[in-house]
Order: sequence, then structure tokens, then C-alpha cells
Amino acid sequence: MIETWQQQIKAAAAKGEKLAIKGSGSKSFLAPVRVGLTLDTRSHAGIVEYDPKELVIVVKCGTRVADVEKAMADAGQMLAFEPPHFGDDSTIGGTVAAGISGPRRAYAGAVRDFVLGAKVIDGKGDHLSFGGKVMKNVAGFDVSRLLVGSFGSLGVITEVAFKCLPLPKAQATRVFEMDAATAIEAMNRWYAEADPITATTWVDGKLHVRFAGAEPAVNTAVQKRGGEALVNDVDWWRDWREQRHAFFASAKELHRVSCKSTAPATDDMRTAIEWGGALRWVHADEASAAKIRYQASRAGGYASVWRGGASTHASAAQSLSDPLKDIHAKIKASFDPYNVFPSLSSSAGEGARQGG
Amino acid sequence: MLVFERPSETAVASAVDALRKDFGERAVTSHSVREHHSHGEGMRDAGLPDVVVFPETNEEVASIVKLCNQARIPVIAFGTGTSLEGHLKALYGGVCIDLSRMNNILQVNAEDLDCRVQAGVTREQLNAEIRSTGLFFPIDPGANASLGGMSATRASGTNAVRYGTMKENILGLTVVTPDGRIIKTGTRARKSSAGYDLTRLYVGSEGTLGIITEIQLKLYGVPERISAAVCQFDELSNAVNVVITAMQLGIPMARIELLDEVQMDACIKYSKLEGFAAKPTLFMEFHGTDAYVAEQIEQMKSITADYGGSDYRFADKPEDRTKLWKARHDAYWAGMSYKPGNQAFATDSCVPISRLADCIAAAKAEIAKTSLTCMIVGHVGDGNFHVQISFNPDNAQEREQAETAAAQIARIAIGMGGTCTGEHGIGIHKLDALKEEHGEAVDVMRTIKKALDPNNIMNPGKTIPMN
Ligand SMILES: Cc1cc2nc3c(=O)[nH]c(=O)nc-3n(C[C@H](O)[C@H](O)[C@H](O)COP(=O)(O)OP(=O)(O)OC[C@H]3O[C@@H](n4cnc5c(N)ncnc54)[C@H](O)[C@@H]3O)c2cc1C
Repeated sequence: MIETWQQQIKAAAAKGEKLAIKGSGSKSFLAPVRVGLTLDTRSHAGIVEYDPKELVIVVKCGTRVADVEKAMADAGQMLAFEPPHFGDDSTIGGTVAAGISGPRRAYAGAVRDFVLGAKVIDGKGDHLSFGGKVMKNVAGFDVSRLLVGSFGSLGVITEVAFKCLPLPKAQATRVFEMDAATAIEAMNRWYAEADPITATTWVDGKLHVRFAGAEPAVNTAVQKRGGEALVNDVDWWRDWREQRHAFFASAKELHRVSCKSTAPATDDMRTAIEWGGALRWVHADEASAAKIRYQASRAGGYASVWRGGASTHASAAQSLSDPLKDIHAKIKASFDPYNVFPSLSSSAGEGARQGG
Repeated sequence: MLVFERPSETAVASAVDALRKDFGERAVTSHSVREHHSHGEGMRDAGLPDVVVFPETNEEVASIVKLCNQARIPVIAFGTGTSLEGHLKALYGGVCIDLSRMNNILQVNAEDLDCRVQAGVTREQLNAEIRSTGLFFPIDPGANASLGGMSATRASGTNAVRYGTMKENILGLTVVTPDGRIIKTGTRARKSSAGYDLTRLYVGSEGTLGIITEIQLKLYGVPERISAAVCQFDELSNAVNVVITAMQLGIPMARIELLDEVQMDACIKYSKLEGFAAKPTLFMEFHGTDAYVAEQIEQMKSITADYGGSDYRFADKPEDRTKLWKARHDAYWAGMSYKPGNQAFATDSCVPISRLADCIAAAKAEIAKTSLTCMIVGHVGDGNFHVQISFNPDNAQEREQAETAAAQIARIAIGMGGTCTGEHGIGIHKLDALKEEHGEAVDVMRTIKKALDPNNIMNPGKTIPMN
């Protein structure tokens, strides 16, 4: 498969044609508009190497995230960034290229923190290997992390090595009735006080806190904080991660705000808060988009349209300052000198590109 | 082949004049200051910069870089000069930018668990100044390095197993680019930023892509309970197997450090440690609530017992812990003073955890082929260890033996799916190993370097082999 893709890319480069890279399409709503022939990564699938004792799993790009998670769970391990699937067949390659992480993100780290190495076919058709399989590697530039969130603009990610973490021994979710301001304060303080928190979500006037880890630690935290137990919490968090919760379904236009975790709540728009306060989801309309962006930048972050917005919204990459745009263009050209792959800022239908 | 053409003497002289005019006494050309800035720790082969400048603001840094870019003169950033791989050697002369006067902590946001510092702030300075907030910054290389230098080398320390390395703990940067522009990467937002992850590209670029002037860092709450313990073994392999088992079980150790019998002997003598034998040893530290720490210790005790470990010696009082970790951090100096007058190479391999025992055994076998004194110390929880190879610098044969052994140990690690450098970086000494490890991927790194620094003025000759 690799050779076929290399040929295809070389041919496209020679003819000045475009190629778009696609997995199952579960995150297409976030990606740049595809033009040209599609290169379907699902034909390169499978686990290349997995010895749980190594705490590393090496996977081909087209492998279903669900299959990877299953293999790891059987060995008592997990992908600790808790990737949202957004579809049954979502692939590992797409997960890395989209660079989005789930509820555990604020506590365990993002996709990029778990990518130890990656292989990629660049826009010249060369198959290259960056990073490796070790926990720490400072040999040369940290290129494998540039690929995270690159949305197929730099090349075809063909293989990824992830760091594995053991599944927690115990888990419990507690629910607290409180307003947004109190919830933001609690999420930040409890985390600073070293509670074994692995996820937080405030929605519909309720703060959900997932404690996980060794049993004594979880028990102590539950006793200390109180709250009500959430039964079936595994399902609840899965639905939340997959954005199947009613909060998401009822949004006509959904904005994603990434900000400092203590940023004050905005009470004039319907909002959900997760990642200890660092991620906010806001129901909004065209008219309030500018206001949300302004508030986000005041809170040290930025906002983007996630779903439902009109395509006229400036995408995240387009809103970069000139020197940053210049650097982006140079990085893009270093990987893809003939512009075979779409550029990160080619206007998307909806959504925005962001690492997470 | 030269990767950079030395600028003409007149070009250098006029740049030095211009800098003197702008910076007065903060542009220094005395031999002693230039010599001090021509090397880190480790090997001291000379390569002096033409002038050392001490800027105080982002704009001053930008003005120096702009001038150098126009005149095609090398620019080398200097933090505290503790790097080990020849990073600071001015191969082609040029301007050294010493960031030590940019030592202000710009913000501490206790509730947000972050802070912003200028590049010249050292890790100890930061921790001293935030102590009253109940927060700390965990990354602790053995030296009291600058946070700019630590960012530039993607440094880590004794508690990377639990808190990660610099790359996981930097939220954003201010960087002066090679054409003298000031850019900001990342945001206060903890988690994400728009576009490519430029922060991670600059972190670890060893001063070859730009000068880091400010850093936004994550901070952590000081845990309720901190407990340190020492356990000794008769066999090195048993100590290593304890580490492997603990990591595979996911015991959330804050620190787990291995010292072999020679290193332990050196540390006992240098740091006057009492009541320990010169045997393979693990230094451990546990962070968490009382209950959590107690449970971790019980788990560890049962593992060490399986491998014939000694009873634990605990250090729970802050002053005892400080003494213990100071001894660990001083391991390098203990090694240097073990054979007075000698110099040393410190290897820096990192392998998948399951290969750690094999790799250390292979490294030991390599050492046994030489007549040199070697000792092993390492942050083994992440598969990283150092062999400090001591040699007489005036004895060409010893130096060659040391170089050969160091290169061979790097090769062994690469062969096991590991890397030649887990934390010290490439500098000038590991350029060949980088090629061996990354093959054609080095071409992309070189292309990025050429694209972002077309005149190759930023620390030329380091990090990325240019031919
Ligand atoms: C005893 C001892 C123990 C050590 N232990 C460890 C350890 O445990 N873990 C570890 O990772 N390292 C360790 N090191 C290596 C060293 O301390 C680290 O590499 C450290 O990060 C270097 O920081 P510095 O401020 O001294 O940088 P310097 O040595 O001054 O510079 C290092 C490199 O970074 C560049 N640089 C410095 N500042 C900037 C800046 N602001 N912008 C851009 N580039 C810059 C320089 O040009 C140079 O290439 C140890 C060294 C010693 C001597």
C-alpha cells in the first residue's frame, strides 16, 4: 500500500494535481475542503506491534480507533487522551491528523503528548520516520508533533506509535448541583488540591466529576467531596465524549471556546464547560459569534465555530498573525513543496482546525 | 564541509561596534567573558564568540538578531551554560546573546496553575519565588539551568515519569525569529492553539530556529504528602527489573532513579551520604494524599522484596529529602571528582522500558572492554540512563576509547528501538547518531531549518546535520 501511495503522490506532484487524504470521514466537518483524488487510508490497517509490557502500541493509519482501544483494554491499557470517535469507523490516522482529545485531556494530556513517533509520506512521496518508541527523545526537531493537528496538509500519516497507560483500577463519578461560577472554582481548586480527577463537565446546572486511579485515592476523594453518585458513568462519559448528549443535539450553531481554565462564565448564552474550565461549548448564532471570539481572546484563548456555522467564519488558521502565517507556509512547503495536499487554511465548510 | 562561511573580519568588527553603541557595557568583548560563553559543561574545546551581549527586553533581542541577519553573523543564545553536547561552542564566531538579565517572572496565575517567565529565569529561582503560593514547577535537570535553555533543549529531570518533560509543560512561547520578528506561539488556553503546533517545534530546537525570550509554564500544587525512600540491591539487574515492573504496573511514582555501585560510591564520598553501601541503589519519591502515598509504598515494597531489595530508608522531612535529591543532582560532579583531573562523556540513551535491563547490560559489557572508570545513573522510569565515561583528556588513547564506547552505547540503544539522546540533545557531538537514528527524516528537519533560517545564522553547525 505504501508504495502505491508513494507512486500516487509522486505522480500528482509531477502533474501538479491535488490529493486529499481521508479515513472514515468522521471528522470531515472539521477538515479543510477536499479537492482532487481521495487517498483512502483505511486500506492500510492493523496493529503493527503491541507488547503491553513495552507500554507502546504501533498502529497503521487506517486502523479503527475502536479496534485499538479494544486490544488495549484486553491488556488492561488505554489511549489516555480518550479520543472522541465521532463515528464507528473512525481511524487512528484521522484521530492524529485532527488532533482532538476527549474528556481526560485536561488531566492526562492531549493526543500529541501520547504520540511517541510517526511515519509519514510527504508531498514528494518519501516515506519518513520521526520520533520512535521511547518516552523521551530529544534527537532533532520534534516533527512528529507537527503532524498532530495537521489535517492531512503535510502528508499521509501512515503509522503512529502511542504511549500506553494502564486503565485505572477504580473509577467513580459524582454529580454536584451548582452554578457555572461555583463549578469553575471547584474544578480548578480540587485539581490543584491533587484530587485524582480524570474528567470534569458542567452542563445543565450540574457538575460531573470523574475520579479514577487507585482505589484508596478514589475513595478518599469521593468521601471528601460528597455529591451524588452517577450510575452508568461509563456510558455517560462516552456519550459526552461522542457529543451525543442532548446539549449538543439541541445546538443549531455550536462554538468551541478554548481559554484559561478560570475564565469567568458567560451567563447569557447556553454553555457547557469541561476540561476543568479550559474548554467551553456555547450555543450561539451568527450575531453573537463576534462577541464570543472577543470574550475568548480576553480570556487568553480563542473561539471557533464547531458545527452549524456559516462558512464565512474566519477559520482558526486564517486568523493567525502575518509572521505566524509565514512560518506556517514555510513548514507546509518543507513537507509538501508541490502543494499536493490541501492547505490548512483552505476554507472549511464548517468547523476549525485546532490541536487539542 | 563547512556549513557556514565565517563572516569577514570587517563585517564582525562593524557589528561589534554597532552593538557597543547600542548596548554600552552590556556588549562585552573581553577574552574571559567570551571564553566563559564558548562552552557548556562537558567537553571544552574552544570556539569563542566575538562578542557577548546582555539584552533585557524582547525588542533588544530582536534588534541584535536583525543586525546579525543583515550582516550574516552567527547568533548563539546562552542560558546558564550547563548543556553537555557542545551546544554553545561558537564554531564560526559570532554574537552570543546571554539571557541572564532577562530574569523576571512576569506573571504567576495561581488559580490557573500557570506562569509566564523571561527566558533567563532559572528553575530554582522560579521555585523559590512561587513557594508561598503552594505551587511548584517540577522539571529539574541536575543543573540549575535557565528555563529558556531548558525549553531550547527540551530538558527533563528526575520526575518526568510523573510530570513529563519541558514539552508537556510549556503552554506557549515568545520567540524572536531569525529575521528579527517577535512572535507568540500558544495561548493562555491550557490546551490548544490554532494551526500547527509551533510551540513544540521551537521546544528542543537548541537555538537553531530562534531565540526564546518568554515562556508560559504549567505549575502544580505541592502534594499533601511527599515521601522519599532508598532501597539497595546486590545485583544491578534486580534494581532495573524493579523499575520495569513498577512502570508496567503503572505505579505513579514521582521519581525513580538508578545508581550503579560505582556511582553510589562516588556519591557517598562526594555528598557524604551516611549509612549506605556502594551497591546498586534506587532513589524513589512518592507524591499524593496520605492514603495514596501509603498504598504506593506498599506496592513498591512488595516488588522490591521479590527482587531481593534491602529495607527502605525513608526521608520524609523536607531537609532530609533535600539532602537526598541534592546528592542525586550532584551525581555528575561526584563522578567528576571521583577521578580528579579527568573529563567525562555522559551518554544519554533512552530505550523502551522493556529493553532497559538488556540495554544497561549491553552498555556494561561495552564499558568492560575499556580500561576506563564508568558509572551509571539515570531517570530509569522512562527508560533513560547515563553512562558517565571518565578519561584523562591528555591521553589520546583514553579519549578515543571513551568516544568509541559512547558512540557504541548510542548505537546499541538505537538498535533496540531507542534513541541516542533522551534529554541532553544533539549539539555538535551527536550529529552522526541523529542521522543513524532518523535516516531520511533528517532531510525534512534540514528543509525546515533552511526555510525558517535561510541565512543559517541561528547557532550554525548544531542539532541538524546540514550536509
Ligand atoms: C550536572 C548536570 C546535570 C544535568 N542533568 C540534566 C538532566 O537531568 N536532564 C536534562 O535534560 N539535562 C540535564 N543537563 C543538561 C543541561 O542542564 C540542560 O540541557 C539544560 O536545559 C541547559 O540549560 P541552560 O540554561 O544551561 O542552557 P545553555 O547550556 O546555556 O544552552 C543550551 C542550548 O540551548 C540554547 N539556548 C539557551 N537559551 C536559549 C533561549 N533562550 N532561546 C533559544 N535557545 C537557547 C543554546 O544556544 C544551546 O544550544 C545536566 C547538565 C549538568 C551539567
